[in-house]
Amino acid sequence: MLAYVARRLFFALPTLLAVMTLVFVLVRIVPGDPAQTILGDQASQEAIMALRERLGLNRPLWEQYVDFLQSAITGDWGASMVTGQPVLGEIANVLPYTIDLTVASLILGAVVGIPLGVWSALHRNRLIDYVTRIGSLLGLSFPAFVSAILLLLIFSIYLNWFPVISAGDRSDPLERLENLALPAINLGLIMAAYITRVTRSSMLNVLGEDYIRTAQAKGLPHRSIIWIHALRNALIPVVTVVGLYLGILIGNSVLTEIVFNRPGLGKLIVGALGQRDYTMLQGLMVIYTFIIIIVNLLTDLTYGLIDPRVKYS
Amino acid sequence: MAAAPSQSVTQSDVALDVRGLTTSFYVGGHWYPAVRDVSFTLQKHETLALVGESGCGKSMTALSILGLVPPDTGRVEAEAILFEGRDLTRASDREMREVRGDGISMVFQEPMTSLNPVLTIGFQVSEALRHHRGLSRREASARALDILEQVKIPSAASRFNDYPHQFSGGMRQRVMIAMALACQPKILLADEPTTALDVTIQAQILELLRDLRRDTGMAMIFITHNLGVVAELADRVAVMYAGQIVEIAEVEHLFARPSHPYTEALLRSIPRSDRDTAELYTIPGQVPPITRMPSGCRFAERCTYRQDRCAGDQRLTSLRDAPTHAVRCWRRTGGDLPTVGAADD
Ligand SMILES: Nc1ncnc2c1ncn2[C@@H]1O[C@H](COP(=O)(O)OP(=O)(O)O)[C@@H](O)[C@H]1O
Ligand code: SF4
Ligand SMILES: [Mg+2]
Repeated sequence: MLAYVARRLFFALPTLLAVMTLVFVLVRIVPGDPAQTILGDQASQEAIMALRERLGLNRPLWEQYVDFLQSAITGDWGASMVTGQPVLGEIANVLPYTIDLTVASLILGAVVGIPLGVWSALHRNRLIDYVTRIGSLLGLSFPAFVSAILLLLIFSIYLNWFPVISAGDRSDPLERLENLALPAINLGLIMAAYITRVTRSSMLNVLGEDYIRTAQAKGLPHRSIIWIHALRNALIPVVTVVGLYLGILIGNSVLTEIVFNRPGLGKLIVGALGQRDYTMLQGLMVIYTFIIIIVNLLTDLTYGLIDPRVKYS
Repeated sequence: MAAAPSQSVTQSDVALDVRGLTTSFYVGGHWYPAVRDVSFTLQKHETLALVGESGCGKSMTALSILGLVPPDTGRVEAEAILFEGRDLTRASDREMREVRGDGISMVFQEPMTSLNPVLTIGFQVSEALRHHRGLSRREASARALDILEQVKIPSAASRFNDYPHQFSGGMRQRVMIAMALACQPKILLADEPTTALDVTIQAQILELLRDLRRDTGMAMIFITHNLGVVAELADRVAVMYAGQIVEIAEVEHLFARPSHPYTEALLRSIPRSDRDTAELYTIPGQVPPITRMPSGCRFAERCTYRQDRCAGDQRLTSLRDAPTHAVRCWRRTGGDLPTVGAADD
């Protein structure tokens, strides 16, 4: 399996290179001059020229490209055009917050969504099922920033249970959890809505399978049939959806991060976009591609845990 | 019950007594019987073959006995289904679970889909033992291994933790049989266990079932659409057509004196190695769907002997000179009145 992981990562290299090239080209063809943007409208022509020189923007494109790749490989992703800090360092500062939030939302989504989906499937077309289905539909269509503001108003400002600004110290476990709670609930409930719906429909499919009838013919108790025979099979499509949604979640968590004033990749991307921080954007897009590659790999490894028919080759 | 054999058998010889079983499905706002007023007894150690084309209600008969008819669309009604002094039609869910896989087991037609793809065969075979016998994981595994060897899975010990997709169709069906036999059931319901398999594998599985039946003494209901395999395996045969038993007899009687036109037709359509398959006889027409059952004789549409009086209800009636041989056709039970002797409905 280690060999499989190594091979998968190796074959991801061309993808990464392609993305880096794309990023390089894109950043240079969008309208607007970075030096002008950084220095503002009032800057003199000389100052702008000097900055362009310093940023290497005056050199031939291919030279910039080779340079860009070389430094990227050696871990030098340049400095943010806005703050002057190393891009990699800025990303490394917020990445743990994003990982915390993503993992917590995923766990919450699974812990709530899977039992709810199973329950809903077992009570198909009964009241419980309708309530769950409507609830999960609401969860999907409710704008994340509205629910974030509601959570913030109720639990932080009115009840005062959680901090208003979730940017605290990660090294103190308690503080880390406190800061995580509301943002994770906000995204976790959306995740739960997705997972509930997929689990329900996949469970209904599985319950009609021949091997479930075989399990019944063995006289097994209801709980073994549901939790051992059916659920394990029903989880296969759930993993697919979680894998897809996880990528979206990492990019889309920006509104949640803004409302809760929490550092994270989403906020970093929006900031860099607004300020045309090209070096930062380059770094973020490559990191984002890398994250998607890792998520896909983890998804495929999870299939293998659930389904013995999956072969790593 | 005309279908019940002679009076000489005592109740204690009876493994299963099915009386007046009707199983219906809810289709388009109405209930339609797929199995209609089926009655038979199964003696201990006996093999009863249930024969008929696809769609005649054989599987539903077996599933009804085990209480496994899909509850949302299906409904089972019966005067009684007696097993070991219990009426299964009145048993609670819990009591039914105790019977399933322990007193009565079932082997299904599709070995490719009837095993759980994500669980090892060792687990699936030992599961019933742990549940019904309360064996520990280790004890159950040891016993399961014995059974896998008994059904002749080659190098069973090393394959114990393999998954179903690592086995061929024939081997999977052996695993299914091992699962069904794990708790040494009194009755095995084998629903077309060889239909999905190659001809040579079919023969091996039939031989296995024959051996197991001999060694364990269990009773068996063997379901098939092929009368050809019945001769070597069954003691008695019930021929089903469109949800009803149309003929029931000891196997030699049935082959010597097929008395229902449908049985005759089935016998003519047995594939035989000494004849060219090109001239294999197939019965013209089709089994009527449960939503469009004709009144009177249900086989009439396809019967070459059809007459006006076939439009009347036909009762399963014993032959005059063979009380254990009953037929649902006025031509053989003779006379002008179809109700000589006992009738089933
Ligand atoms: N869930 C269902 N809903 C409606 N009709 C059904 C259902 N299951 C089976 N039937 C019908 O019941 C009849 C008997 O089916 P079955 O017992 O499976 O036949 P066999 O095993 O003899 O091939 C068939 O006509 C079939 O179409
Ligand atoms: S009752 Fe009539 S139609 Fe039916 S099987 Fe007998 S002869 Fe044929
Ligand atoms: Mg069938």
